Amino acid sequence: MARNMRRKKMSKVSADDVTGVDYKDLDLLGEYITETGKIVPSRITGVSAKFQRQLTTAIKHARFIALLPFCDSHE
Amino acid sequence: MRHYEIVFLVHPDQSAQVPAMIERYKTIVESTAGAIHRLEDWGRRHLAYPINKIHKAHYVLMNVECDQAALAELEVGFRFNDAILRSMTLLKKAAITTPSIILTSAADESRGRSKRVEEDVEVDLDIDDKEEIIALDDVETSAE
Repeated sequence: MARNMRRKKMSKVSADDVTGVDYKDLDLLGEYITETGKIVPSRITGVSAKFQRQLTTAIKHARFIALLPFCDSHE
Repeated sequence: MRHYEIVFLVHPDQSAQVPAMIERYKTIVESTAGAIHRLEDWGRRHLAYPINKIHKAHYVLMNVECDQAALAELEVGFRFNDAILRSMTLLKKAAITTPSIILTSAADESRGRSKRVEEDVEVDLDIDDKEEIIALDDVETSAE
């Protein structure tokens, strides 16, 4: 029974939004990282594969310019 | 000519040099028939993690349209400028001219903060009055 139970797939970004995820949108990216700063898998959040790819690159760009942390053990 | 989005982080002690830096990069881009479509100064922001033991940096965002020679010149400038902690260049498909989310949200926050500061001042005044009263009491008791 439990195996058949699937989390409903849902995305914050509508299909007509062609601009993609912006690495500067910290409020949006913050919903897809854990408290320790890791990227949350799409099987947990239920977002589409395309959106997850956009999220991943956006989060990595934001991390590089220190808008988001890589982890929670920075000094 | 391609569209690029450039973000660079300036050492907080060199914040005063930022307008001069922007001017220099502007001339580099415009001397090669390029254009600057968006230029944003996010000001000093707290870093998510320290870079070179520095916890704050001055962020500048530029959306430019230029050729490869101008971009190479910009990037060499970033690399050999000690005031620049880090820079990131992204290739974009089109010119972006609308203000970024960070700039708009920062404006909202500063408006909210100024209100909060006013409230804090009022509270502080109240506390000060109480402390003075207590201090006066102490003086009286010690005199006895």
